[in-house]
This record gives sequence, C-alpha cells and structure tokens, in this order.
Amino acid sequence: MEMMGIERDRLHMSWVSSAEATKFIDVVTQVTEAVRALGPNTRFVKQQAKVA
Amino acid sequence: MSEWEPKIVAFLCNWCSYGAADLAGVSRMQYPPNIRVIRIPCTGRMSPKFALAALRNGADGVWVSG
Amino acid sequence: MLGYTEKMRGIASRLLKDCSVEMVIGFRKGSMPMMNEPCFVTTIEDVPSLIWDSNCGINLANYLTNRKEKIAVFAKGCDSRNIVNHIIENKIKRDQVHIVGVPCTGMIDKRKIAGMVKGEILEVSETDDTIKVKTADSETLFEKTEVLQQNCTLCIHRNPVIHDEMVADPVEEQTSLDRYADIQKIEEMESEDKWQFFEDLLSPCIRCYACRNACPLCYCPTCFVDESKPQWMGKGQDPIDVRTFHFLRAYHCAGRCTDCGACERACPVGINMRLLTRKLEKDCQEQFGWEAGLSLDQRPALDVYQTNDPGTFIK
Repeated sequence: MEMMGIERDRLHMSWVSSAEATKFIDVVTQVTEAVRALGPNTRFVKQQAKVA
Repeated sequence: MSEWEPKIVAFLCNWCSYGAADLAGVSRMQYPPNIRVIRIPCTGRMSPKFALAALRNGADGVWVSG
Repeated sequence: MLGYTEKMRGIASRLLKDCSVEMVIGFRKGSMPMMNEPCFVTTIEDVPSLIWDSNCGINLANYLTNRKEKIAVFAKGCDSRNIVNHIIENKIKRDQVHIVGVPCTGMIDKRKIAGMVKGEILEVSETDDTIKVKTADSETLFEKTEVLQQNCTLCIHRNPVIHDEMVADPVEEQTSLDRYADIQKIEEMESEDKWQFFEDLLSPCIRCYACRNACPLCYCPTCFVDESKPQWMGKGQDPIDVRTFHFLRAYHCAGRCTDCGACERACPVGINMRLLTRKLEKDCQEQFGWEAGLSLDQRPALDVYQTNDPGTFIK
C-alpha cells in the first residue's frame, strides 16, 4: 500500500489478547492519534455520483 | 461543523481484541470513540479486500487486530 | 534458439506416437508478425505447425489449469516455474505433465520494436542474436539484446527448473543484475509522488482484464472483479476502481509471481503493471528469502509460519 502512495499510518496491525483491556486502550489511542495526524483520507475514496 | 474526527474501521478478532474491547467496556475504561468495530471470527478471515473496501468507502484508517 | 523448432517437432511426434501424452502444448505462427499463438497439438499430422522463436512470450502454464489428461508442454524458465506453482497449488499433478524444457535467451518486445521502426511491420526474422524487421519501405537490423522484454533482460532463471527432457543444452544464466532498480526508485519517492506516479501509470487502463487472463496465477473460478455480492469494486473506468483492481490483482500474486511478463505483454495499452508484482516479489525475497516456483518440496512463503518471520509492523 505504501508503495502505491497510501500513507503508511492508514493501516495498523496489532496483537491484543482478550485479557489485555489496557493494552487495547493504548492501541486504540495510538491508532487514533496516528490517523488524526494524517488528516482525512482523500486518496482512495470512491466518489459517489452526485445525484441532484 | 465541529472539528474533524478520524473515522477508523477496526477489524477485531472475536477471540482476542474483541474480547479485550469487551473487557475494556465492562471495566468502564475510557478510550477514543473514533473506531467502528467489525467483528471477524479470526484474524485469518481478514482479506486485503476488506481494508481496501473500508478505505474506498471513506474510512480514514483501518486497524486490524488479532 | 533457432534450431529448436525441428527438435521440438521431433519430440512432439515421438510423444504422440507412443501415446505417452494426449496433447502437446506449444506455439504456432500467428497471423501477424511477432504474434505467435499457443497451439494444442493432439495428432501427429498437426505437429508441423509447431514452431519456436523469440516471440513465444505467452506463458503456457496458463493452459494447464485443472486439466485432466496427460499433457506435454514446452516450458521456458518462467513457464517451468509457473508449472511448479501449479503443482504446488494442486492445479495439475506432476505425473500428468511431461515437461519439455526450453532454455531461453529472452523474448522480444513487440511494442518496443513497433516504436523503433516507422510504418507497419510486415515481416520479422531472426538469427541467434539479431532481429531483422521489414516494413514496406525499409529494413532494420536490431541486436536482440536491445529489443528484449524488460522482464527477460532481468531474468535470472532462463533454464527450466524442472523438466523431463530438454530441447537443448542449458544456456548461460545472467548474473549480477540489479533486478529492482526501478522499484527502488519508486520506493524512495514521497507518498504524494507515488500516488501520482501510479495515477499516471494506470490512467490508460481500459479494464479489459487481458493481464488477468494471460496470467497463469489468475485461475480463481470467480475473480473478485466479477463478484457482485458483495461488489468489491465498480466495473467502470473510475480511477479508484482501476487502482483497486491492479492493487488487488498484484496482491493475489504475492509470493507466486515469477515475473514471466505475460501480463505486460498482453496489455493492449502497454501498462507496466509488473511494477506492482515485482515490488511484492522483492519483498518476499528480502523478508522471507523466497523466490516463487523454484522447488516442489518447499511450501510458499505466505503458506508457512516461522518464528523469525518479520513482524515489526505489528504493535
């Protein structure tokens, strides 16, 4: 994806066990911050035809 | 309109992160409300199609967690 | 590669005569210069139509998918690797195919040649290392090395990796090539430039799916582009749809692509979609030390888990 010019931080992967609620929250926060820093996704969005 | 908030599609494995999310909820922990959770039976169910479909439909980020 | 034709006809007649195969897959002359087409020979009478020259770039492994009969196939280096892929992926059994190895010195790029001469090309003939191109009012002689397909100039497996017999002695392999110079250049671009680069690269695409049809790896009963429930992408020429198609097609070839160049060769508008598949090939090479289709005993890189698999991208 990065090769094609989609920003790296748009896609995240992680391992969280079902007992790790705190890690879950950490990762959610991290991911949210990373995406927030990138700003809105404009590249790969399919524009729907505008209907009057 | 108020300030822009990122929309993140989260693909969570039923047995791992989905459980963690559940536990976080039950424990009344606070976390950012930007994720939209999609439960998948296993991270093995994940496919590149899903990530692309999410982005195509306007998600700002995709998060896969097992 | 000039003497191959006679030997091939000999091999084909022998195999058909002693009934060890029901069909021989090779090439015959196409209706236009530089357009050899695949040829399925089932009777000895048809054997003389078989030929071999530098226009046999189509990947014959493509025609083996899910066949039930015994087949002999002429296989270049890349074809043989795709046959290995097919066997590993259970698309054909090893004892069903009689692989006739063809050491290959590269196939010529018809688009390149058409761009280098003026007027319609009427005839193309070749010697071992030159190509003569005849148009209505001129005749041009090229060194074969200057008109090779790009993937052939970068090829490091010219000799078949598996074979039951060989048409000729192995040719010398190319070594010390910088195979991924162009990929590296793209990798070094800024994110925005990359986006623009592929926007320009893919903009002529007419979604004819010739690349998919020519590709020996693309044998899904229903391709994701044809699925409508759910519909993964639109059918039109919307740039995002085009991009999704090329992106996902490349992904399906991850760890399987042998860079045979069939996709680029088949493309009517000349898109170099190999930039995408080769990026994945490069990653497989770097991260898992894996090259597709080299051996029957090894499972593909994306098929196995090892504790030392790279995982730094996982939080």
